[in-house]
Amino acid sequence: MLKVNNITKKFIRYNSKKEKEEFYADNKISFTAKDGEIVGILGPNGAGKTTLLRMIAGILNPTDGTIEFDDLSFDKHEIEIKKNLAYLSGNTKIYNSLSAYELLEMCCELYDVSKEKRNDRIKEISTILNMDDFLYNKIEKLSTGQTQKVNIARCLVHNPKYYILDEATSGLDIISSQIILDFIKREKKDGKTILYSTHYMEEAENICDRVIMINKGVIIEEGTPSEIKKNTNTTNLRDAFFKLIGGIDDEK
Amino acid sequence: MKNNVLYILKKEIRETFRDKKSLTMMLIIPFMIPLLVIGMSALFESQLKRPIEDYNKIGMSYETNEVEKKIISKIGIDPIYDTEEKLKEKYDNGEIDLYITKRDNKYIINGNDNDTTSYAISLVEPYILAYKEYLQNEYLTYENIDSNNVINIITLEKNIIEKDNFFANYIVVYSFLFIIMAITISATYPATDATAGEKERGTLETLLTFPIKSKDIIIGKFLSVSLSSIITGVLSFGLTIISLLIANNMFDIYKNTNLMPSMVSIIFSCFIIISYSLLISGLCIAIASKSKTFKEAQSALTPLTFVSFFPGMIAFMMDIQTTAVLSLVPFLNFTLLFEDISNNNVNYLNILLMVISTLIIIFVILKTIIKQYTSEKILFSN
Repeated sequence: MLKVNNITKKFIRYNSKKEKEEFYADNKISFTAKDGEIVGILGPNGAGKTTLLRMIAGILNPTDGTIEFDDLSFDKHEIEIKKNLAYLSGNTKIYNSLSAYELLEMCCELYDVSKEKRNDRIKEISTILNMDDFLYNKIEKLSTGQTQKVNIARCLVHNPKYYILDEATSGLDIISSQIILDFIKREKKDGKTILYSTHYMEEAENICDRVIMINKGVIIEEGTPSEIKKNTNTTNLRDAFFKLIGGIDDEK
Repeated sequence: MKNNVLYILKKEIRETFRDKKSLTMMLIIPFMIPLLVIGMSALFESQLKRPIEDYNKIGMSYETNEVEKKIISKIGIDPIYDTEEKLKEKYDNGEIDLYITKRDNKYIINGNDNDTTSYAISLVEPYILAYKEYLQNEYLTYENIDSNNVINIITLEKNIIEKDNFFANYIVVYSFLFIIMAITISATYPATDATAGEKERGTLETLLTFPIKSKDIIIGKFLSVSLSSIITGVLSFGLTIISLLIANNMFDIYKNTNLMPSMVSIIFSCFIIISYSLLISGLCIAIASKSKTFKEAQSALTPLTFVSFFPGMIAFMMDIQTTAVLSLVPFLNFTLLFEDISNNNVNYLNILLMVISTLIIIFVILKTIIKQYTSEKILFSN
């Protein structure tokens, strides 16, 4: 189980008068994600989703609060946590000069997949994601969809318990997006915990067990899609979100 | 965890050896060294062994007697006789290399201060001195005085053993300085690519999500850049030895000099080259990892090429000798120790001090970079 307790991230930025000011990207965010659950983190651009997920993935350090994976915290168990974690964002870049196989081999090495099992594991993932045709091609020669498959494969090699997916379908065409959505559904069936951030409300409504809506760094609503729609007396999450923030003018 | 260093090293080596620019820097620059050694040797020799026909046309505004003619002929002067005005004109037109005028018993050498004039003077002065000695002998004989007792009242014998061949020393030290520069350039590109380049391409964020300690990432990157610069250094050194051997047999300026270093010199020189490669790799990574983009890192690293070259060059030009304290000074110590070693003067204490100071500096540099990579600022410095 993933427990996020009062996570806060404060940045220093310059205002229009070029004076330093404190800016809270996330402020006292708390939630849990149970095993086998897909938790959607929803919100508009700049809501604080990426900062939150980067903190959960151990890339950013929280200013305040704690994050625990099965009662282990980053302070003392960073390596153990990262071994059970896969982070994929819409902006995640991979090594173009390596072939897909070489990249996956490197991931196996770094995630401690035993030498005997590495080749079989890569071949297995390649078959699942239909990558056999380009497995030995350099990543720089691959299409966007093929590259995204390699990126997903990278997350699968170590069979992690937790997936952190930050706008993983952003900017992708319908086929590439579907590859990711299929992957999420498949991993859920295997009992994995998935944190899935997106600003596509309909997408989240379809695949998430539970949704956390964030705006301006704070949680504005939390629950299953049905609960949120019921609480806000709306028929979809998009309308629910606008109702929660007081309409589109407020968002502007 | 030790394996993670090897995995990162493997990844970095793959990236470096597949990058054409890195490969060019690593393997092509050393091939400039033979050109430098042969080119500089040819230049030195051309200056020293200038054909006499280039500077022996000496104008004379007076008539020479038989004795003078014999001396002139023996020295190799090609005399051109004419009036002073016409000689001046010929000199200005470059037809003669110098001209001599005469007022009573005074000979005046005329010309401008340039290379050819200097060479021509080296012919004229012996002619005038020889003729003067002839006249002195004649006078003393006429006065019934033994000229030998007067002219050779004291004699001078030079007993100076030529310890070093100036040109040999010059070419060896400059070759080393060029090796240093080649290593620096070779380290610059992979260091930039492995740090600022990785940040700019966005793969650093991916790398930081892996279960690896920052220490392993940095050591892996450091070893990869070091390997690249060591390859350049050793290749450059090998090519230097080959080109020095060729120059040794090709040019007379190295006559009676053996440019082939001894086995001890080769071993210790390799030791210095490896130490320098490690130091410069660490420095390049430290500087480049502070930069946000590849271009910014390249600009920040450019001065390092000059910084690496100048202390050694100045030390050589000022003839600074190695001391225990100077052996601790980075950049300077490598050139000073190499000069000593190439002269078969191996001082183990100085070498040990150089190694200790280099290791301390590398340790501090790596510690600093590891700390930087532990912080999120490495990714989000803005």
